[in-house]
Amino acid sequence: MPPLRLLALAFAAFLAPGAGIALAHPHVQVETETRITHDASGQVTAVEHIWTFDEMYSTYATQGLDKNGDGQLSREELAELTNVNVEHLGQQRFFTVLKHERRFVSFGAVRDAWSEVKNGKLVLRFTVPVATPFKAAGRPLTVEIYDPDYFVAFVPADGEPMRLVDAPAACKLDYTPPRGGGQSAATLSESFFQALGPNANFGAQFAGRYTVNCQ
Amino acid sequence: MRARHIAGAAALIAACAILLGGLGDALAQAPPSAFGGARPPAPTGLVGWIIEQQAAFYRQLSAAVRGVRSGDRTAFATLVGVSFLYGVFHAAGPGHGKAVISSYIVATGETMRRGLVLAALSSLLQAFTAIALVGFLAAVLGATARTMGQVVNWIEIVAYALIVVIGLRLLWSKGRAFAARFASWRSGRPVAGMACDDNCTHLPAAEQVARIRSWREALAVIVSVGLRPCTGAILVLVFALSQGIVHAGIAATFAMAAGTALTVAAIAALASGAKALAVRLASARAGSITLLLSAVEVAAALLVVLFGAALLTGYLAVERMMPF
Repeated sequence: MPPLRLLALAFAAFLAPGAGIALAHPHVQVETETRITHDASGQVTAVEHIWTFDEMYSTYATQGLDKNGDGQLSREELAELTNVNVEHLGQQRFFTVLKHERRFVSFGAVRDAWSEVKNGKLVLRFTVPVATPFKAAGRPLTVEIYDPDYFVAFVPADGEPMRLVDAPAACKLDYTPPRGGGQSAATLSESFFQALGPNANFGAQFAGRYTVNCQ
Repeated sequence: MRARHIAGAAALIAACAILLGGLGDALAQAPPSAFGGARPPAPTGLVGWIIEQQAAFYRQLSAAVRGVRSGDRTAFATLVGVSFLYGVFHAAGPGHGKAVISSYIVATGETMRRGLVLAALSSLLQAFTAIALVGFLAAVLGATARTMGQVVNWIEIVAYALIVVIGLRLLWSKGRAFAARFASWRSGRPVAGMACDDNCTHLPAAEQVARIRSWREALAVIVSVGLRPCTGAILVLVFALSQGIVHAGIAATFAMAAGTALTVAAIAALASGAKALAVRLASARAGSITLLLSAVEVAAALLVVLFGAALLTGYLAVERMMPF
């Protein structure tokens, strides 16, 4: 092998471990339960989230918040944490990607946000209304919940992670597992360069997709 | 000797190829079903797999801490084992530690032994900062997560700024060396004091100064990497503290550090092996190869600056204390 190529190989071997730097470590796992609520005329009006944080993160996030020292965390004691979470969630568009007719659905202001601790786990509940209610007719409505940077690992909760509330009878719910399947190490460099940009979408490959079909 | 070295380097490269290729096959996992149909399969791709493994070990950590709390006899060993593996995968995934250390080694041509020392000490420092941080802020002051996050933020600024400084210093010295080599390559004359063959002698005093400076530099590298504690260690410490078993948290933190050190040391060894091979090739052929090697050193120094700057400006974020 010509020395130049060997040198290039050696350099590549050095660079390879650095190739992951643009990606993140998930240190928080959130189990998601989601409700898509409809009004009387069958229009989609809001997305209601019930997010359960993992036990270790819950302990970390709630430490020092038990102001009266009774060993219980009341809704009031958790209010500040809820507010911070909701505020940051707004900046991240609630990690919820709603698409209808190939268009992104935009959201209004959060309401009914509160937190509680259940079995040692922090549970955050909040509702985001869609900016303009719409009928999920025609092309399907898709819902994805993920953190593009993959700081947060969102996983569907056991049981019923997605439910349609008051939806027209014709509406059917479907779930597609993450589309990471085809990716190999060979295409890693591509995702590395994509991940370098501010529009990094690394987390999407870990996300499943819900589809609502109302034919 | 030379043949052995090339064989060793080839083995390293082969090991990498095996690692990259072989891991791909180990991806097929079938987690239990959750949503009528199949649960999301594990993402493929090496980095995805590493991250998935780390996330899996992270999930086991809290259960292991609970096990220790309930007095399960084997739980302590489980906790230490899981923490160690978590550390191995954590360091293999995204992180500035191995990037800075391997770039530094390529730029300076540090020995493999020095690389291992850098990896071990920086990981150890990481464990100590995590314990000090949680011990002081959470246990003594009863600080909230928000306060701890802010403190970590300040630590990050110091650590990342230090990376920039290290990188700039390297860039300055390597850049000058490159300029001198480039000039000599153009004029066809050797550079005095640059290429060190059998005829050249160093003054002992100068060598000593270089050694001290290089140790000071190494210390800066250790601090820049080890100052920012690993978020996983902080979480397990806080959780162990809440369960009233701090000792388990401390043991887990050191086990994590050992795992991190192992991975970073392996990458440091790889970097130093690759560099040694390149130097060997360059010493056999003067001129353009030496110049190329010098350019690689400059590139590695530049990489350190870019890492530091990207981390410092928040353009590149690897870990976050708050989820959103």
